Amino acid sequence: MNDTSTETETLERLLSRTAMRDRAAFARLYELTSPRLFGLCVRMLRDRGEAEEVLQEAFISIWRRADGYDATLASANTWLTTLVRNRAIDRLRQRREDTHSDPLGLEQLPDESRGPAGEAEASEDYRRLERCLGQLDSKYSRSVREAFFSGATYKELAMRCEVPLATMKSWIRRALLQLRTCLET
Amino acid sequence: MNTPLNEDASDLRYAEYVLGVLDADARAAVEQELADGAAAASAVAEWGRRLAPLAEAIAPEPPPPRLWQRIRTRLEFDGPDPDRRMRLWDNLPLWHWLTLGSGALLAAACAALVFLLVHRPPTPAIPYMAATITENDGQVGWTATMDIGKARMIVVPATPLPVQPNRTPELWLIPQGGRPIAVGLISTQAPITLRLSATLVARLGPTARLAVSIEPHGGSPTGAPTGPVIAAGAIGAAPAAAGPAAAALRLRASLQRPV
Repeated sequence: MNDTSTETETLERLLSRTAMRDRAAFARLYELTSPRLFGLCVRMLRDRGEAEEVLQEAFISIWRRADGYDATLASANTWLTTLVRNRAIDRLRQRREDTHSDPLGLEQLPDESRGPAGEAEASEDYRRLERCLGQLDSKYSRSVREAFFSGATYKELAMRCEVPLATMKSWIRRALLQLRTCLET
Repeated sequence: MNTPLNEDASDLRYAEYVLGVLDADARAAVEQELADGAAAASAVAEWGRRLAPLAEAIAPEPPPPRLWQRIRTRLEFDGPDPDRRMRLWDNLPLWHWLTLGSGALLAAACAALVFLLVHRPPTPAIPYMAATITENDGQVGWTATMDIGKARMIVVPATPLPVQPNRTPELWLIPQGGRPIAVGLISTQAPITLRLSATLVARLGPTARLAVSIEPHGGSPTGAPTGPVIAAGAIGAAPAAAGPAAAALRLRASLQRPV
């Protein structure tokens, strides 16, 4: 889509200027990306105070590590999302494992695919990924989504979905291999 | 031995790392591999490209304004910006105003110019010229301001597209009906001041254009543009004046014309 490719170019330009210590570019990058990244932090950490702390640390890393961004390895959006998710996952691992382990049951896992309204502004990469997720067995795709959005370990996921650990591992591994094949075609 | 099954197993571990299902110890082990070798990094980057788009499913939520202030404080942005501590001549916002000045900024720009002019030794004639150098996508790449009295030109990047690492943008003067004359190498990142030879000064004028081509490091080897022309702009004149105030008035006139 034109809009998303223009946006990608803008973010790449802002990141490369951030690497050159351009404060105005960094401020603009924050303005453009922080709502999406904050939404991600709140969803993963389920605690606004912690989400703020993680986003703050993430943007400090972005300022310091922008010169390590390699546009041939990842789009700016992917790089930023990955950096923020890694920070959030590290924070989750510091918590005691039992914080979120109330059993939910697989059927109660929220289905987070965008509604029809959201599809219009979604990137081509997102739509392709959604198509591939849609082709999976629903227990596989729900587990992958829950893993992505909660940052939970295999063990926590197994407890939450009330299935044996080995079952959860095999669902997610099969899902990942099938996604890889689907995204390559 | 790298059988397909082994490859699948190690690729899966990188996928699990990116998805975030590994516990703290297993994560640390993958991060150690990432620090050690490029193969792990490229597999992890590949999985990042595959999975990161899923984040688009989450509704954006603006963080509270205090968060940006905390980031600014942590990064010590509230002190002076060391990269912006430039002499007046190199003052980027000032030159943006002078070359792109809108109605609202005009008075401030003129005041700044008068300040600039009265704080320097009087010169009999101070003509200024300006050009907005626009890239092919319509974005302003650079602004150029020429001080004829001092035979120099400052070229300030606005938002030029990045240039490949082994290439440099080079600025050319193209007189009407003439061949391009090299002005000098410029930067996509920092303001550059270029000296103007007598030949160049003689040809600057409202019929001439400036253009930017992409050249190998060190500039065009032939003396003529060899790479693609990525940006160009006409020169707007602010002709010779009898004194600082007149120069300010003339500049004001040139600012009111569409550049």
